[in-house]
Amino acid sequence: MSISTPGGPERRPTVVSTGKKPAAGRPASGAKAGSGKPTGKPAGSPRAGGKGPRKPIAPVKVSQGRAWGPIALFVAVGVLAAGIIGYGAWASFQGAKPWDKRANAIDGIVNIRKSDPDSLKYEAHKSGPLTYKYSPPVGGVHNAAWQNCMGDVYDAPIASEHAVHSLEHGAVWITYRPGLPQDQIDKLAGKVRGVEKMMLSPYEGLDKPISLQAWGFQLKVDNADDKRIDEFIKDLRVNASVEGPTALCNTGITATGTTPRELQQQPTQ
Amino acid sequence: MTAPATTDSEHDEAPTAPDEGGRAPARRYGLLALAAMLVVGLLLGYAGGLLTPGLTRPGDTSIEAGFARDMTTHHSQAVEMSLTAYRSATLPEVRQMAVDIATGQQGEIGAMQTWLREWELSPTGSQSPMSWMSDGATVKNGLMPGMATPQEMAALRDAQGIEVDRQFLTLMINHHLGGIHMIDAVLGETDNAEVLRVARTMKATQQSELNNLRQLQAQARG
Repeated sequence: MSISTPGGPERRPTVVSTGKKPAAGRPASGAKAGSGKPTGKPAGSPRAGGKGPRKPIAPVKVSQGRAWGPIALFVAVGVLAAGIIGYGAWASFQGAKPWDKRANAIDGIVNIRKSDPDSLKYEAHKSGPLTYKYSPPVGGVHNAAWQNCMGDVYDAPIASEHAVHSLEHGAVWITYRPGLPQDQIDKLAGKVRGVEKMMLSPYEGLDKPISLQAWGFQLKVDNADDKRIDEFIKDLRVNASVEGPTALCNTGITATGTTPRELQQQPTQ
Repeated sequence: MTAPATTDSEHDEAPTAPDEGGRAPARRYGLLALAAMLVVGLLLGYAGGLLTPGLTRPGDTSIEAGFARDMTTHHSQAVEMSLTAYRSATLPEVRQMAVDIATGQQGEIGAMQTWLREWELSPTGSQSPMSWMSDGATVKNGLMPGMATPQEMAALRDAQGIEVDRQFLTLMINHHLGGIHMIDAVLGETDNAEVLRVARTMKATQQSELNNLRQLQAQARG
């Protein structure tokens, strides 16, 4: 293709084509018949049309036609290869990176599922106050009651024993150090309010202004404008659920206070 | 489709450029052939991409389809039991767990029914329920492993006070044991990534719930 394309239209046609004419005539037509069904039809009809008005034109075409046979073959193979590669790309695009790989790629995230999986293990629900290794906690044993995580914005600290149960259900729990400027709190609340599997609360003794928790994952940042906050939510909200995407966030504890509560016995019908 | 249109244009141009007319159309055919093959190649790749999932998706008698159908039936009874307990049980922890089981399993039913739609299969199979289980577990009186009898369901509905908690806990423990048995069967034989993922979550959830149910059973007995 690269040879015929630059040489073609300007000066060469007469020289090259006449020189090739005798030799080219037969093999070209033979090649055409053999090389394929795709080129056979479109090539046939115009050639017939060209033959009518002008006789010398026909051989020129034929001589050029011979070059197209192998080229077409190469192109066909190339296109087939491109098709296969294209399908491969399509298939890999379909199976995009899993959420845990994306979460691991967040700068500064701590993956406790990998670094300390034992801290997340537990046998059964345990009532009363519990102690946690990480602050704020990211998983492990918890109370039977979960903290309501239907986009709840709590203005006072909540019990970790309930919050961890919410994490187990796939919630992202955003905590901030008491005293964080109100405009920063408002920005965090904007990411939480009205969104199920999200909750926000202050947390006493936090070593950074803001900390995000999902089951087995933690990310601490200095500023509510940090883009990693949205990445964390995108990758881990619901995905981090231990019990699937439909574990409940409603019918939980809606009260604040760090002392865990026993579930209230409701009057039965 | 494009062939007739292009040949027409060749006819039109041939007389206007008599000297180079011989070469230009030939070049154009090459380009056209190239373009056509490019299009055909892309279409082939696209068609391959479209068809492959169709050819590889689970069929009507597959383990995956059997699991999706039968686990839907199995889950449906658990949802009914749990909603009964949520309404009438005495212990708040029992009610709390019951509603979580009900909505969780109803959600899983949604996932499994979506699989069947995506696989273009009917929610009802052509083979009898449980025939996909290779270990010979069968349906007895229409009931899969761990399912409560109609009499047990009626008794749960009629129960009062702490008796609701006790019956629910007994029934749900058996139900989960049967459910885990069915989940193990699909985990052992499928290589469908999505089915594996959901079945693993299902099993982990039911196992931790079993621990909590047993703990509550001791509490309800006392």
